[in-house]
Amino acid sequence: MNSSLAQDTASSAVDTLTQSYSGKWEGVEGVEQTSQFIQFMASYDLIFVVLGVSLIIWFVLLFYIIKVDKNVTKLEQTIHTTNES
Amino acid sequence: MTVVITAGFLIRIPDIAILEQSARNLFLHVPMWFTMMVMFLFSFYYSIRYLNDETLLWDTKAETATAVGLLFGICGLLTGSLWARFTWGAWWTFSEPRMNLSALSMLIFVAYFILRTAFNDPDKRAKISAIYNIFGVTTLPFLLYIIPRQLPSLHPGAEGNPAFSEITAPELRYIFYPAIVGFIGLAFWIKDIVQRYKALKVVTTDNL
Repeated sequence: MNSSLAQDTASSAVDTLTQSYSGKWEGVEGVEQTSQFIQFMASYDLIFVVLGVSLIIWFVLLFYIIKVDKNVTKLEQTIHTTNES
Repeated sequence: MTVVITAGFLIRIPDIAILEQSARNLFLHVPMWFTMMVMFLFSFYYSIRYLNDETLLWDTKAETATAVGLLFGICGLLTGSLWARFTWGAWWTFSEPRMNLSALSMLIFVAYFILRTAFNDPDKRAKISAIYNIFGVTTLPFLLYIIPRQLPSLHPGAEGNPAFSEITAPELRYIFYPAIVGFIGLAFWIKDIVQRYKALKVVTTDNL
């Protein structure tokens, strides 16, 4: 229900974007023929690109922090085992 | 530092309503490269300090700074690629000098870590990687700032223009500068945590 609604507005947003910007931005041209994902990303004045960019930064940093966390856990375990023995 | 980061994120939200489209990526994509540059400059400084007095502490500090810098560089590359797909029409173009040269400089620093694994002797590893790091950071300004400005490019700042000029809307700057400070602060925080972990690891392995 919600997704079909979003899709409708998405395709109409893509249309207005190609009409007003097709001469300036070649990347937006022909977006109707591409996949659902590209169409979705190009909707609402490319705001989802900003979302994607912030998510990329977030996940890369998160991945690194989780890696550090695992290393710290390993170090804690070695400290515990040496203290017990 | 935490206050600065929080402010960088909070200020961004109300002002976004005025601006439209993916121009907001300026607050995310550009500070990535600034942060990377600051981190690499710090690792450059640590490498020089290592060669100066040959304390292994400086070597681990240089390694940490390079790792965090590389992390932010990868973020910059990935976000740039995504942004390019929807404004320029391709994930990657080989006619874009800044894009390719930044990927090249990423490879230089990936090679730094490969070089580090090649040595078992910590002193030898520290010395050679310090020299390599000084070389690598010296190439950075040429690859990222000088050559792209001489060539035609889709990035702002091509063909001798300053990248950040009066065409940039003033509203953008109010958020852009705190964003830079915020991301650099975040990078320093991550670097500090990793550095403390490495210092603790050295202490515990020595006690074993």
